[in-house]
Amino acid sequence: MVQINLPKNSEIKKGHYYKDKTGSKNIRKVNIYRWDPVTEENPRIDTYEVDMDNCPSKVLDLLNKIKNEIDPSIAYRRSCAHGVCGSCAMNMDGKNGLACTKPHSEIKGDINIYPLPHLKVLKDLIGDLSTLYKQYESVEPWLKTTKKIDNTEHLQTKDDRSKLDGLYECIMCACCSTSCPSYWWNGEKYLGPAVLLQAYRWIIDSRDEDRKERLKKVADELKLYRCHTIMNCTNACPKGLNPAKAIASIKKMLATG
Amino acid sequence: MNNNPLSPHIQIYNWHISSLVSISHRITGVVNILALTLVCFWVWILLLGNENYQVIFNFFNSIFGKLFIISFVWSYSFQILSEIRHWFWDLGYGFELKTSRITGILVILGSIIITAVLYSMRGILL
Repeated sequence: MVQINLPKNSEIKKGHYYKDKTGSKNIRKVNIYRWDPVTEENPRIDTYEVDMDNCPSKVLDLLNKIKNEIDPSIAYRRSCAHGVCGSCAMNMDGKNGLACTKPHSEIKGDINIYPLPHLKVLKDLIGDLSTLYKQYESVEPWLKTTKKIDNTEHLQTKDDRSKLDGLYECIMCACCSTSCPSYWWNGEKYLGPAVLLQAYRWIIDSRDEDRKERLKKVADELKLYRCHTIMNCTNACPKGLNPAKAIASIKKMLATG
Repeated sequence: MNNNPLSPHIQIYNWHISSLVSISHRITGVVNILALTLVCFWVWILLLGNENYQVIFNFFNSIFGKLFIISFVWSYSFQILSEIRHWFWDLGYGFELKTSRITGILVILGSIIITAVLYSMRGILL
């Protein structure tokens, strides 16, 4: 259901203000969403003054700097720091992306950092993605074939292989799904752009023999057709992929048979 | 898990041309249904006697009536242009970010131009 307002326990309060202690002349204010499961308090926005002269270029560097030098209590996911693992997906400056590939110089004014939108918050910038992972499992993202395992390759023409370009690069960071208003309102039932792109990745794979079943499974008013081509997903994807187009391709396959 | 807060969504998310056109498409759709119902109602009261014509005539010539017509024409042109954009999407075209941004702007500008042109031609059309 469309629920525009945040529930009472999710309303954001004003938080702490951490003044700069380095005496730097190049200061930027960073506003970060905080919520601690140990306390019974509402989420808050903490503001940090950061010395930008000694800060590397990406938003993740900025977060690391705050965690190392100002406030060690702040929690966020990160791993590879090279846009490959998808751990540090978050909402920066009103748009989802990977903190490790987003330069903070692209952000004008104060730097606002929130967790991915419309998720249950586990702590600070960490949102709960278990629903999305269950949905991912539901599309059975593995090769289904009757071909006997004989230790040889599953060959594919160059043309068939190229159909996977723009799909296999997806790192499941959830930037797209959590940017989608349809997924906000119907996240329990609508599969969302990330999972549908993955579904299409297996539907279009020439080596997979389960195409018909896969299409049948996904052809559902709620699972698939809640996509209204809002295009927030494609706008958000940090890998430059096009989930909206993948979803449209599934719809087209279903319509044309 | 029930006590965990929900992270902010529409409150903090930036609007893009595409999301703006998408929500407007829905709103104009609802507005058009209501406005068309009203038009049907007018036709119906005409059947009940020609003196009713004067009522409609007076309404259309009031400021509110003119505003209503202009809004309706805009809402209708927007819906049609946006629908054409959706047809292309259904055929599989126009999903590239740049293309979708340009077509979105075209829908917005186009609807304003159509409204202005139709309004300036009202003397010829009516």
